[in-house]
Amino acid sequence: MKSQIRNTVVMLAAGAMLAGVSGCGKQQSAAAGAGRADAAANLAESLKVDLSGIKSQDGQPLLLALETKTPPPRPKDPDALPETDPGHWYDMEYAGWNTAKENIPASPKDGAIGKRVIAIINGDHPYLTAYSAGMKKVAEAYRMKLRILSPNWKVDVQNQMLDEAVNEKPDLIILIALDAKVAILQVRKVNQAGIPIILSNMHPDNEAMRYAICWTGPDDWGQFRMLAKVWADKLNRKGGVAYVRHAPGGSPFFARTFGPASELTAYAPDIKTLDMQAPGFEAAKTQQVVSDWIMRFGDKLVGICAADDSAQAIGIAEACKKAGRSDIVVVAAGNSKVGMDAVKAGEIHAITYQSAEADGAVALKAGADWFNGLTVEPVRYLPKHVITQTDVDTFQPAQW
Amino acid sequence: MSERTTQFTRSLGGLFHRAGIFGAVVLILAIGALVSPKFLTAGNLLNTVDSVMLLGIVAVGVAFVTYSGHYADLSVPTTMAFSGVMAVEMLRFGFVPALLAGLATGLGIGLVNALMVGRLRVNPIIWTLAMSYLTMGVMRWLWSNQQIYPDVKGGDTGAGRLFTELYRHEVLSRIPLPMVILALFAVAGHYVLTRTAFGQQLKLVGSNPSMAAMTGVRMPRTVGLAFVLSALAASVGGILITSLSKVGAYYNGEGYDFDAVTAVVLGGVMLTGGRGSMLGVLGGVLMLGLMSNILTLLGVDTFAQRIVKGAVFLAVVGVSSLLARRMGRDDA
Repeated sequence: MKSQIRNTVVMLAAGAMLAGVSGCGKQQSAAAGAGRADAAANLAESLKVDLSGIKSQDGQPLLLALETKTPPPRPKDPDALPETDPGHWYDMEYAGWNTAKENIPASPKDGAIGKRVIAIINGDHPYLTAYSAGMKKVAEAYRMKLRILSPNWKVDVQNQMLDEAVNEKPDLIILIALDAKVAILQVRKVNQAGIPIILSNMHPDNEAMRYAICWTGPDDWGQFRMLAKVWADKLNRKGGVAYVRHAPGGSPFFARTFGPASELTAYAPDIKTLDMQAPGFEAAKTQQVVSDWIMRFGDKLVGICAADDSAQAIGIAEACKKAGRSDIVVVAAGNSKVGMDAVKAGEIHAITYQSAEADGAVALKAGADWFNGLTVEPVRYLPKHVITQTDVDTFQPAQW
Repeated sequence: MSERTTQFTRSLGGLFHRAGIFGAVVLILAIGALVSPKFLTAGNLLNTVDSVMLLGIVAVGVAFVTYSGHYADLSVPTTMAFSGVMAVEMLRFGFVPALLAGLATGLGIGLVNALMVGRLRVNPIIWTLAMSYLTMGVMRWLWSNQQIYPDVKGGDTGAGRLFTELYRHEVLSRIPLPMVILALFAVAGHYVLTRTAFGQQLKLVGSNPSMAAMTGVRMPRTVGLAFVLSALAASVGGILITSLSKVGAYYNGEGYDFDAVTAVVLGGVMLTGGRGSMLGVLGGVLMLGLMSNILTLLGVDTFAQRIVKGAVFLAVVGVSSLLARRMGRDDA
C-alpha cells in the first residue's frame, strides 16, 4: 500500500515536471522569438539616435569629429633612445594602437537603448564634473541606465568599486584608470567576468588595452606636439624654456612635458630645456617656482609650458608680472575659464582645446556603437586644436 | 648624567629655543649666498617672502593651537576653501558682504571646533580631521563639485573685479596687501601671546594643563579661543588664495595644514605646547621659503624638495623633543 502511494506520487511528480518542462520550453521559445524581435527593434531604434544636435556648454557640438592617426613603426628599443627623442615615448604615445586583443566579448548587436552602464572615473574635479555631464547627455539620448562612481583619487577604493560593479553584471563598464599598471589587473578582471569594458581619458599600460574594447580620450601627446610648434614659432625657434608639470603617475605627467620637449628637438633644435618642476596645482607654489626660475636663468628663460591653464597659469602670470617679464611666452593645457580669460588678457599665448564634456560623451558613444554592432576602432581621439587670442571667443562660455 | 652635563644640555636647549630658527635662517642665507650670487639680491629675497605670505598668515593662527598643546588644526585647508567659496558666492551682494560672509564661515567652523575640542575635549587631531571631511563634503554637495568664479558671481557690480584684485593690491603702491596683513597678524599675535591674560593662560594650558585647571583657568574658553583664532587666520588666508587663483573651489588650501604646522614647529613652538613665539613662527615660515628657493636655484626637483621638507620637519621635532625631555619636559 505504502509503495503504491509512493509510486503514484512519483508518477504524478514526474508528470508535473514533464508538463512544466514542456510548458517552460514553449515559453522560452516564445520569449526567445520575442527577444529577437525586441533586439531587432531596439537596434533599429538605437541606430536612429542622432546626437549631432546636442551641444556642450561652450556651444560646440558635444560629439566633435574624431581624429585618428597612423602609428609609425615602433623603434626596436624605445628605452634606449634619449628622452628628447619622440621614439623613447612610443609605447605611451601609441598605447592601444597595435595591441592584440584577447577575450573581447562579441557585440550583442541588439542596440544601446536601455543598457545598464557603470562608469568609474578617477576622482572629483571640475573637469570630471563636465566629463560626467557629457556622458549623461549621451546616456539620455540612448535612454541608458548610467551610474557614475568616483573613488576620489584612491586606487584601493577604485578597485573596490570595480569589484562591486562586476558583481552587478552591467552591460558595460567604463573606466578612467587611476594607475597605469594597476589598470592591467582591473581590466583583466572585468574581461574575465565576461563584461565588456571601455577605457577612457587617462592612458593605462599597453597591456591593459588587450582586454578592453577600446580607449577614448584626448590625444595628449598629439595636442602638445601641436602646441609646441605654435609656441616655438612665437619664440622664433630659439631660447631657453621650462616646464611646469602635471601630477606624477598619470600619462599627462609625461605627455605634457616630453610631448613638447621631444617635438622641439626636431622642430626647433635651438630651443633648450632649462628645467622641469611639478609644484602641484596651486598658484602660490607655482609662482614661487617660476620666480626662482626667473632669478636663476634670467634672460635665458623665454618660454614656460604649463600642464594646467588654471592655478599653474595664474602662478606663472603673477611671477612674470612681478619680475617685469611679460616677454616670457606661456602656453598651457586647456581649456578652463581661467585659462581662456588669461589668453584673452594676453597672459597666456596659447592653450590646447580639450572638451571635457566630449571626453565623457565619446567614451559612452563608443559603447553605444559597440552595442549597435558598429566598428569601434582601438583608439578614439578627441579632435586637437590650439586656442589663441584670435579664436578664444569661439570657445566661451567655458565648460569648467 | 653629571650636574655639569645636565646644565650644558639645558643651556644648549635654551639656546636652541631662543636663537634656533634665526640661527638657522642666517645659516641658510650664508649657504644661499654660496650657492648662487643672485640669492642675496633684493629681488630674490622679496620673491621668497612674497611666496610664503599666505602660509605666514595661516601659520600665525595654527601657532595658537600648537601653543595650547593641541598639536594642529587639520581643518585649515577646508576652512580656507569654504571661506573662499562662500565669499565668491556672496559677491552678488557686494564686495564687503562677500568678505564678511567668508570670515563668518571661517569663524563658524572655528566655533564648532572650539566647542568640540575646548568644551567636550574631543581629540583635536581626530575632530579637526573629521571637520575637514565634513566641510569638504558640504562644499562638494552644495556646489555640485564645480568651481565658481568671482567675475561671474559678482555680475556687473564690479565686486568680482575688486575681489580678484584684493590679493594683488599694493598698499601705498609698493607693499603687497597680504604682506601688510601678515605683519598685522604677527604683531597682534605676538601681543596676544605675550601681553594679555589670554596669552598667559594659553601658555599655562599648553605647558601644564593640570596646573591651569587648579589655578582657575577656564580651559574650554581658552582652548576654544585658540581654535577660533586658527580658523579666523585660515579664513583670511582662504579669501586671499581664492582672490589669487580667481576661482572658488573646494581644493583651494590643500597642503596648508602640514606646511603651517611645519613652519610653527620649525619656528620653535613645541608640539607639547606652552613654548614658542610669534617671531619664531615668522622665522619658520621664512625658513621654508628660503629652503624651497635655494633648492630650486640648485635645480633640485620638487619631489626631492618634499623629501627635504619632510626630513627637516622630522629632524626638528626629534631634536626639540629630545631637548625638551632633557630639560625636564617628560611629556615631550
